[in-house]
Amino acid sequence: MSLSRYALVGLAALACAAPAAASPAIGAPAPAFTAVDGDGRARSLAEFKGRTVVLEWTNAGCPYVQKHYGSGHMQSLQKAATTDGVVWLTLISSAPGKQGYVAPAEARTWKTSTGAASTALLLDPQGRVGRAYDAKTTPHMYVVDKAGTLVYMGGIDNRPTSDPASLKGANNYVTAALADLKAGRKVAIAASKPYGCSIKYAG
Amino acid sequence: MRVLAGLFALFLAAAPAAAQPVNTGHLTAELVAERQAIAPGETLHVALRQDIQKGWHTYWRNAGDSGEPTRIAWTLPPGWKAGDIVWPAPSRQPTGPLMNYGYAGEVLLPVALTAPTNALPGQTITLKAAASFLVCEEICVPEDAVLTLALPVAASPAAPDPRWGPAIAATLAAAPKPAGLAATFARAGGRVTLAVAGAPLAGADMTDAYFFPFDGTQFAHAKPQAVERGPQGLTLTLTPGFAFNQGAGPSDVAGVLTVGGKSYEVDARPGPPPAGVSGLGPPPVKVATAPPAADLGLALAALFAFAGGLILNLMPCVFPILAMKAASLAGHVHDAVEGRRQGLAFGAGVMAAFLALAGLLIALKAGGAAIGWGFQLQSPPVVAGLALLMLAVALNLSGVFEVGQSLQGAGAGLAARQGLAGAFFTGALAVVVAAPCTAPFMAPALGWALTRDAAAALAVFAALGLGFAAPFVSASFAPGLLARLPRPGPWMDVLRKALAFPMYGTAAWLVWVLAVQAGPEGLARVLVASVLLALAAWLFGWAQRRVAEGGRPATLVAAAALAAAAALVAALWPGYAPPAASASDAGAQAVVPFETWSPERVAAAHAAGKAVLVDFTAAWCVTCQVNERTALSTRSVADAFRRTGAVYLKGDWTRKDPAIAAELARHGRAGVPLYLVYGAKSGEGVILPQILTEGLVVRALEDAQGR
Repeated sequence: MSLSRYALVGLAALACAAPAAASPAIGAPAPAFTAVDGDGRARSLAEFKGRTVVLEWTNAGCPYVQKHYGSGHMQSLQKAATTDGVVWLTLISSAPGKQGYVAPAEARTWKTSTGAASTALLLDPQGRVGRAYDAKTTPHMYVVDKAGTLVYMGGIDNRPTSDPASLKGANNYVTAALADLKAGRKVAIAASKPYGCSIKYAG
Repeated sequence: MRVLAGLFALFLAAAPAAAQPVNTGHLTAELVAERQAIAPGETLHVALRQDIQKGWHTYWRNAGDSGEPTRIAWTLPPGWKAGDIVWPAPSRQPTGPLMNYGYAGEVLLPVALTAPTNALPGQTITLKAAASFLVCEEICVPEDAVLTLALPVAASPAAPDPRWGPAIAATLAAAPKPAGLAATFARAGGRVTLAVAGAPLAGADMTDAYFFPFDGTQFAHAKPQAVERGPQGLTLTLTPGFAFNQGAGPSDVAGVLTVGGKSYEVDARPGPPPAGVSGLGPPPVKVATAPPAADLGLALAALFAFAGGLILNLMPCVFPILAMKAASLAGHVHDAVEGRRQGLAFGAGVMAAFLALAGLLIALKAGGAAIGWGFQLQSPPVVAGLALLMLAVALNLSGVFEVGQSLQGAGAGLAARQGLAGAFFTGALAVVVAAPCTAPFMAPALGWALTRDAAAALAVFAALGLGFAAPFVSASFAPGLLARLPRPGPWMDVLRKALAFPMYGTAAWLVWVLAVQAGPEGLARVLVASVLLALAAWLFGWAQRRVAEGGRPATLVAAAALAAAAALVAALWPGYAPPAASASDAGAQAVVPFETWSPERVAAAHAAGKAVLVDFTAAWCVTCQVNERTALSTRSVADAFRRTGAVYLKGDWTRKDPAIAAELARHGRAGVPLYLVYGAKSGEGVILPQILTEGLVVRALEDAQGR
């Protein structure tokens, strides 16, 4: 009696432990998430339903991120998008003690220190959101349309290098996707290979 | 600074080919040439050499989930040409949930260099390469260097560079090339199967087979690649990347296949698989720790065997036999000379049994039987016979019958209290019943012995026997020890009768082993045989008492012999059929649910990203049973399995099983227990000690989840 009960409990637990999350897919609903900002406020994707959302994974110590922020390029992308009514969420999935990790106190001054024009900086130190999106690199970009469908995922542009000179003449896939959405077109390039540093996940 | 170093190198016009290494922070880079000079119109290889700091790595042409490949921009005199990098096969560089492909340590990236036909012999030209590379540990640093190489032009092809010529040649020889392999790919459900066949793959060791795609968008790099072997090749099951979700997906899957330490370039087109790429199942999972059996010499193996034999006396296996030893000791406590002779006879019995078993084992193995240490208890008739023998010894100790001069040589009773034959037999029986499970030290020694020639193997088994017999024989040579026991008297009869009970226990254990091997049918037979044997013993004892009273009880003796013969027939003939119930039914209902071990099941669990604990066990291995009860079926271990999602697989060696014997041999073992824990990500196995504790198992599972 008790033996079979233990066995059932064990089996049930094994079943629960199996990874349930599927990889994000273009054309499918973007995985729902909730993460806190620097003020400890929970922000969720659902909060922005009806608006186009850009997700940007970042790590200030990463040379590829520095290429985009050091030149002011990322900030101007954020500014252009948010001015256009797009929600731009910057996420940090670095674990505490690893490169790019930002404590809540630092997160509150992040916008001033970087000149970023994101809607919000979200902290994901356990990597839950990052893993749900299968985010691999910094930067790694996602675009979610007004219906909550994932319409772009991948690299920020077609120049997979950390050399700032490569920005000139690069084809920025996020800008292109946002332009397609605004014009009511299907996003032409819906996926690309993300490039950059690996995300410094916990564990 | 680096540019300055490069410029400095530029001015060093030394002959022959000369370059200055540049330390860029996390690696040292330099250009090296295959030959001392180049002839007009000749093509030779120069290589970008990276000597990478420990723990850091650079990237292959497809860097994997993150990172960036090394690039070289050449500045060459007019007419000179440099080709693309000839990429050596990369290694996997896992970081967290991601997978990168690259190089650690020292790597040569060769490039073909062609001199124009009008190059002037006697001239020294300067090759200039702006190399940029991302070098990562956990964090990544882009580094670059301007490297130069001064290369003389000679009228005819020059000798290889003494320092780098052989290394570049070896790199080029090992670099993946097309090898006439037929390759196709197909989408199947959510997966893509890549099937590759060709002569180089026939019979290759596919344990570490892996496909490195050239295109970083085609496959999910971090997902495990399940391998199915075939006689002519293999099939890899890959997880598609986003390239497969765009339009019709790729029309070409190209990359490097590494198999058995060799690498091949593969170019697959959509289509049905070539012949002979499946049917042989997944390869056995590799164990990272090298089998210790590999490098033990004879001396060390013998030393291990001696130590193992000593420790065997303390293993749970031997506890029942301690009763026989004690009974034997008690019989001659105050006769030093007799005690020594008894001790030596016991030792001789141990040695004889070890050597006989080893000889038989070696002969059977030479005959092709897939068996290992403990094989004698894999045979149900042998187990049944031993159970009856133990029962007979126990009945004798209980005083049901005597073994003495009145009826010499009649029936059982070789394990008499006195007599050198009795001591010899006690030693032999101790080995036959108790030695099947292996003790620490013993396992590597036996594993070593059974992979060597017969003489070396027998030497190791002899050392094992010496170790096992040593404590008892030494005790018989220590009169001080024996003198502490009381004078002979009625206490000896009480002790003897008390010691019958461990022997009943041993008989009960063997009956249980038989029940596991042969099911309820077998159990019924051995119980009938036991009752008949007890009847025979009682009749024989009655006859002995009648003889002592001066009678001639021929009928009683005949009846006893008949009952004993019936007991033997019931126990030994005909052979036992295996039990009908399969172990997997029991497995799902156990405290810690388990499944039946198979290499395929291990590979499937690894493909699913789960850690695996494999428990090679046998009902006749008391150490295994003790471990399973005290360490493997407790609540906290059940919790650990649940928490880590690890899979518990049992390989039951109670009956003969060639697959299990082969797997034990692969880990340099000849017997059970053997506990293996495979990492969830790496799939690499570690061997746990032979004596388990709850904490040790929990820690091993937690560790396996993370690696």
